[in-house]
Amino acid sequence: MFAPALACCVLAMTGYLLSLLVKKVSLARGSTWILAASFVFLSLYLLLAAFHSTGWDYFGSRHFLSIYAWVIAGIYLGLQFKTKTRLLGAFIVPFILLLLIAAAGYGSGKNLVPPQWQSWLTNLHLVLAIAGEALFILATAASAMFIIQNGLLKRKKPGKMGRLLPSLGELDRINHLGLLWGFPLLTIGMIAGTVYAAFVWGGQWPADPKVIWSFAVWAVYGFLLHQRLAIGWKGSRIAILSCVAFLLFLSSALVIRFCFATVHNFI
Amino acid sequence: MIAVVGLNYKTAPIDVLEKLFAGCSREGNFPAVLKAIPGVHEILHLSTCNRVELVVSTDDDLRVLDLLKSFLVRSGALTNNEVSCIYVHRDEDAIRHLFRVASSLDSLVMGEAQILGQVKEAYRWALTENSTGIILNRLMHRAFRTAKRVRTETGIAANPVSVSFAAVELAKKIFGSLAGKKTLIIGAGEMAELTCMHLIGNGAEEITVANRSTVQAEILAEKYHGRAVGLGTLDEVLCDADIVISSTGAPSYVVTEDMVRRCLRKRKNRLLFLVDIAMPRDIDPAADGIENVYLYNIDHLQDIVDENMKSRRRESLKAEQIVHEEVAQYFNWLKELEAVPTIVSLRSKAEGIVRMEMEKASSWMGSLESEDRDKVEALVNGIVNKILHAPMTAMKEESAEFQSQDIVAAARQLFRLDD
Repeated sequence: MFAPALACCVLAMTGYLLSLLVKKVSLARGSTWILAASFVFLSLYLLLAAFHSTGWDYFGSRHFLSIYAWVIAGIYLGLQFKTKTRLLGAFIVPFILLLLIAAAGYGSGKNLVPPQWQSWLTNLHLVLAIAGEALFILATAASAMFIIQNGLLKRKKPGKMGRLLPSLGELDRINHLGLLWGFPLLTIGMIAGTVYAAFVWGGQWPADPKVIWSFAVWAVYGFLLHQRLAIGWKGSRIAILSCVAFLLFLSSALVIRFCFATVHNFI
Repeated sequence: MIAVVGLNYKTAPIDVLEKLFAGCSREGNFPAVLKAIPGVHEILHLSTCNRVELVVSTDDDLRVLDLLKSFLVRSGALTNNEVSCIYVHRDEDAIRHLFRVASSLDSLVMGEAQILGQVKEAYRWALTENSTGIILNRLMHRAFRTAKRVRTETGIAANPVSVSFAAVELAKKIFGSLAGKKTLIIGAGEMAELTCMHLIGNGAEEITVANRSTVQAEILAEKYHGRAVGLGTLDEVLCDADIVISSTGAPSYVVTEDMVRRCLRKRKNRLLFLVDIAMPRDIDPAADGIENVYLYNIDHLQDIVDENMKSRRRESLKAEQIVHEEVAQYFNWLKELEAVPTIVSLRSKAEGIVRMEMEKASSWMGSLESEDRDKVEALVNGIVNKILHAPMTAMKEESAEFQSQDIVAAARQLFRLDD
C-alpha cells in the first residue's frame, strides 16, 4: 500500500507543478483527486500497519514519517472542502512527497521509540506535535502564496499568475486556521512530553537542546497567534513572519538532528 | 444554398441598426412572413442591437436574396444610401459568418457572452414558428457547438475587458468571496455606479454612498438599498468599508494617506481595496504604501484591461481555427446531402422493381420449397445490390469532393429517377 501512495503523490506533485507552469487550474483540480487517492492508500497502509503491530512498534521510522505526511495531506484535503484553493497543493505536496520519500528510505517495522520510553504519553506527545507542525506547514505554504499574490497585486500586475493563485482573503484565512489549530495541538503535545519527561527522564530534561529549541519555536508561534488574535495583525506582515517562524523551526530541527546529542534523535 | 443577408455595427451606423431593430420587432411574427417568400426553404431571423441578420436556406439564390434585401429595406425604411450597408454571405462564407457570430468573434467586444444567448433565442423563435428544417437545424446546432468549443478550449472570454469588471475581478482576488463585503462609493459618478452594480452582482452587500450633495447620494443609495451620507462623515464610513470606489470631481485628495492609516488601525488591519477612478485623483497614491491596502486608479485598471484585450486577440487565433474545422465539417455534411436524396430514390426504385418482379414470378415460384424461394430472393437482391454499389459509392465520393452535381444529374437521368 505504501508504493501506490508514493506513486500517486509523485503524480499529484507533477500535476501541480504542471498546472503552475501552464497556468491551468483544471490540472491542479485533477491533481487534488490524485492526492486524495494517495491519501487513501496511505490511510490503508497505516491501518494495516496498526493492525499488524503489537503495540509500541507502531512508531517505526517509516510509520512515523508516513503519519506526518498523512496528517498534512488530510488537513489539506479537508481544507479543499471549505476553500477553493487547489493550487495550495503545489506548495504543500512537495513537503508530503519529501516525507514519503524519506519514509521509503527506512525499512518498516523497526521500532523507533527506544523501549524504555514507550508509553501512551510519548505516543500522544509525538502525534500531537506532528499534527501541530503539519498545520504550521500548511499555514506557511499559504503564507508563501500570500506573499507572491500580495506582490503581484501591489505591483498592479495580477496577470495570469495572479488569476491562478487563490485570493488574499482565503490565504490569510488558511494561515489563521493553521496557527489557531496548530498552536494548541503543539502545546498539548509538548505538555504531554514534559509530563512524561519529568516523571521518567529525571532532572536534566529541560537542558535538552531539542527541548530548548522547541520551546523557542513554540514561543514564536505563540507570539504570532497572539498578535494575530489580540493585536489584529493580518495579511502580509503575518505571512512574512509565519515564513520566518517556519524557517526557524526547520533549521533548528535540522541543526539539532545532525549537530547535537539529544534523546529526540531517534527519528 | 445557405446565405446570410444583413447588416451589423461594422457596416451600418447605430441609427440605421436602431431603425431596423425597432422595425423588425414591430412586425412580430416575421419568421412566418419570411418563410412565405417564394424560394425560401428555411429561414432564421437574428436581431440584436448590434446586428440584424437573416439566415436562409434556398435553391434559388439571386432572386431570393433580392427579396430578402428588400424585406430589410422595407422593415427599416432604409434610404438608398443605407442599402449599401447590407451584406450578403453565401455558402461557406455564410456558415463561417454565423459560427463566428455565435462564438462572439464578430462582436463589438470580442468574447462577450450575450450574443450566444441571443442567437439561441432567435433559433427558439424560429422553431416555434416552424421556419427551420433539416439544414438550418443542423447549422444552428453546429453553431452552438462551435461557440461552446471556442468558450471552453480558448481563453477568449477568460479575462475582463471593461474597467468596472476588472475592478470586480481584483476585488475577488483580494477578498475571495465578496459576500458580506461592504462597499463605499464616494461621488455619484456613472462609472462608480456601474462598478457598484457589478460588485452587487457578485455578492457585495451594504452600499454606502458619500457625496457632496446628499440629494444625489440619496438617489443612488436608494437604487441599491444603501444609505447616503455627506462627505463630512467620510472618516467614519471609510473605516467600515472593505471596498471603496471614488469618483468625485474634487480638485484635491478626498481620501488622504493619514485617513487610510487611521482606518486600518481601527479595522484591525483587515484588507482594504481602494479604487480611484477620478481625474484628478481622489485618493492619495501614498495610501498604496500602507500594508493590506490595495489602491488601484483608473490607469492601473486600464492597463489590466488592455492586457486582457491583447490576450483575447491572441486567443481569437485559436478560436478561428476551431471555426475553420467546424465549418469544414458542416459543409461536408451539406455537400453529401445533395447526393443523399438521389441515392435514396435510386435504392427505393431498385427495391420497387425487385418487389414487382418477385410478385410476377410468384405464380411459378409457388411450386418451390420455401427454402428455395428464399434462396432465389437472396440471389436477386444480391445482384441488384452489386449493380447499385458502384454508382452509389461514386456519388458519395464525388459529393465529399464538392463535385456531385454532374454525377448526381447523370444518375437521375440514367435511372430515370425524375419520371
